Amino acid sequence: MNNRQARLFAIWGTGLSTLLFLGMTLDTHRQIPELTNSENITPQVTHGMDVWHKYNCINCHTLFGEGAYYAPDLTKITQHRGEPYLQAYMRDPSKFYDEQTHRRLMPKQDLSEEEITDLIAFLDWVSKVDNQGWPPRPILVTGSFIPGTAAVAGVDATGTPAAPEGTTPVDPGDDIRALGEHVFRTASPACIACHSTAPGANMAGPTLAGIATRAAETIASPDYKGQATDVEGYIRESITQPSAHLVPGDMYSAGGVSFMPPGYGDGLSAEQIDQLTAFLATLK
Amino acid sequence: MRYQSQSVAYWYFAVAMVLFGLQLVFGLLSATKYLGPDPLLYILPFDVTKVIHTNLLIVWVLTGFMGATYWMIPEESRTELHSVKLAYIQLGLWTLMGVTAIIGYLFRYGTGNKLLEQPLPHKIVIVICMLIFLYNIGMTIRKSGRFTATESVLMIGLVSSAILFFPALLHYENYTVSIFYRWWTIHLWVEGVWMMIMGAFLAYLLIRLSGADREVMEKWLYVIVGLVFIAGIIGTAHHYYWVGVPTYWLPIGGFFSALEPLALVGMAAYAYGAMRRSGLAHPNTLALHWTIGSAVFALFGAGLLGLAHTWPSVNKWTHGTLITAMHGHAAFYGAYAMIVLAMITYALPSMTNRREPGSAIGYWAFWLQISGMFGMTLSFATAGIGQVYLERIMGMGYLDAQLKIQIHFVMLICTASVFTVGVALFIYDFFRHAPRFATTPDPDARMPHASSGTL
Repeated sequence: MNNRQARLFAIWGTGLSTLLFLGMTLDTHRQIPELTNSENITPQVTHGMDVWHKYNCINCHTLFGEGAYYAPDLTKITQHRGEPYLQAYMRDPSKFYDEQTHRRLMPKQDLSEEEITDLIAFLDWVSKVDNQGWPPRPILVTGSFIPGTAAVAGVDATGTPAAPEGTTPVDPGDDIRALGEHVFRTASPACIACHSTAPGANMAGPTLAGIATRAAETIASPDYKGQATDVEGYIRESITQPSAHLVPGDMYSAGGVSFMPPGYGDGLSAEQIDQLTAFLATLK
Repeated sequence: MRYQSQSVAYWYFAVAMVLFGLQLVFGLLSATKYLGPDPLLYILPFDVTKVIHTNLLIVWVLTGFMGATYWMIPEESRTELHSVKLAYIQLGLWTLMGVTAIIGYLFRYGTGNKLLEQPLPHKIVIVICMLIFLYNIGMTIRKSGRFTATESVLMIGLVSSAILFFPALLHYENYTVSIFYRWWTIHLWVEGVWMMIMGAFLAYLLIRLSGADREVMEKWLYVIVGLVFIAGIIGTAHHYYWVGVPTYWLPIGGFFSALEPLALVGMAAYAYGAMRRSGLAHPNTLALHWTIGSAVFALFGAGLLGLAHTWPSVNKWTHGTLITAMHGHAAFYGAYAMIVLAMITYALPSMTNRREPGSAIGYWAFWLQISGMFGMTLSFATAGIGQVYLERIMGMGYLDAQLKIQIHFVMLICTASVFTVGVALFIYDFFRHAPRFATTPDPDARMPHASSGTL
């Protein structure tokens, strides 16, 4: 190969690659509206994207796995956490997580209520983009699919239950949903030992991701045999009388009796059941 | 120094050194936040230190590229620069842009778009600086009438860098489209046209340091450029995984980005071959260390570690984890930081009273940086592997998984401290010799030359 041939190789190689790349770019533009549901990009979603940029979110979090690696990926966050939870979270993250426990904490951002709502609308649009099925397994913020590795309550030397690793000590003044999440982790036995909040991740019990949406459908269906008339009622009933309505599946019940421990109605105070219901009702 | 106007390069290098030092301050700050709790949570949170860290990198490396170009062009074209005054105006504007952008970030004044956080006024100043720069270099070459192949590769690289910045100036309604064009700037810079710039500097240094035949070196430079673009342009596809674009980008990205290391293997073989064959020893052995080091470290960081997670079936688990930070640090350092440090080390004896072979401090700076960065890469790698298995594969929550990999962050801070000492020594070695801009009739006389063909 002489100098001229080498130069021609560089020019032709670059030229052909560029052409191919531009061709695929054109086709990508043709397909993007459908893949990203661009008709759903409302002014609210657009404003939400501006909020995402304004608060420099991408230099801690990732979206579609792109950004910084200091905080969790948020691509599917609205499928894991309902809007009321996210709203309460963004008003004050320290109500939900403890910096001493996790060694990092999201600083309070002082977003306006409108900014919070629009940001959630944007994140919800993101969560529905067809991105080739990524992530292959849900990315959780805390907790775990693996029983025993999750943040479950331990017992300290004096025999009193200690705050579990990975949760914030909550006080009665906190948001009811934050308190409910605390109950979810600390009730005995812990709900989280059998139920995940990730879509499709069924453990000993069915996943509670989307429980609020499913509850509404269940109540409306003729197969429903329980007493509840609304979502909160259904969740409350499931906690206190697990066998009132059975989720289909041999792994969840036998002979008309649910495998879920029946003692929560007595073991938890009325207040705790309210909190737990409020938390679960956010899982849309 | 052969031409008086080459002295402008010194001031570009000086600015680059200061910004490099600052970059490390913010890098170390960001690293310690991984250990937490963070006493600066409401003063300098992670997002601020991180954005300053990455932006300083871009600004100092580009400052280094500009300085190195102003150094190289007069020598290649055998003439004084078209306008020294313009070069200084450009440096002033550029530095002002960089410094005000950094101050702005402290107050969250930025676009919040990863790596393109510069606010619009700053982006416009960047474009103005690029235009001044290209005009000045273009006029210099035009007046001289001598345009070498090395220069043409460098020029095409610089012009394309400027052109590829334009998509970054636009606003996109659809977040996926905005990601799509963000990579036209970022990817096609770092895995395309900046590689051309690096290749041109590498060819220049190898011709000077090893006395290798220009005809042969420039031929292989073309081959490398061809390989960079054949793999690199379509290799942009590996940034289009999982972002909401058609599925065909997955196999295409896998195939073409697997080819990307070829150009880097080519560069490393090129550097090593040139050194072995030449049989001539240039007195500036320190510059030789940096030159060969850059080619080898780029092969490791950009080539090998990029290949490690570029295949879609691997990337779906590693995407958006510290594995990316592993690759990013080693790649940027090997390919771009080191080539700028090589040009500085090569040029410095002609612009200051530093001795040609370099000093003990210079060698300490080299080896401490290399070992520090290697250790940092391993720390990110081990942290990233832990994260992928715990969080992505086994399904442990992000925050819980991060707690389990704390020890790797301790390792990161230790190795980053070694690296910082290396950089501090380099900066000290740079500034302890006062500049001295006397021209010598033929600095290349310090070593005989094989040939000097033109296009």
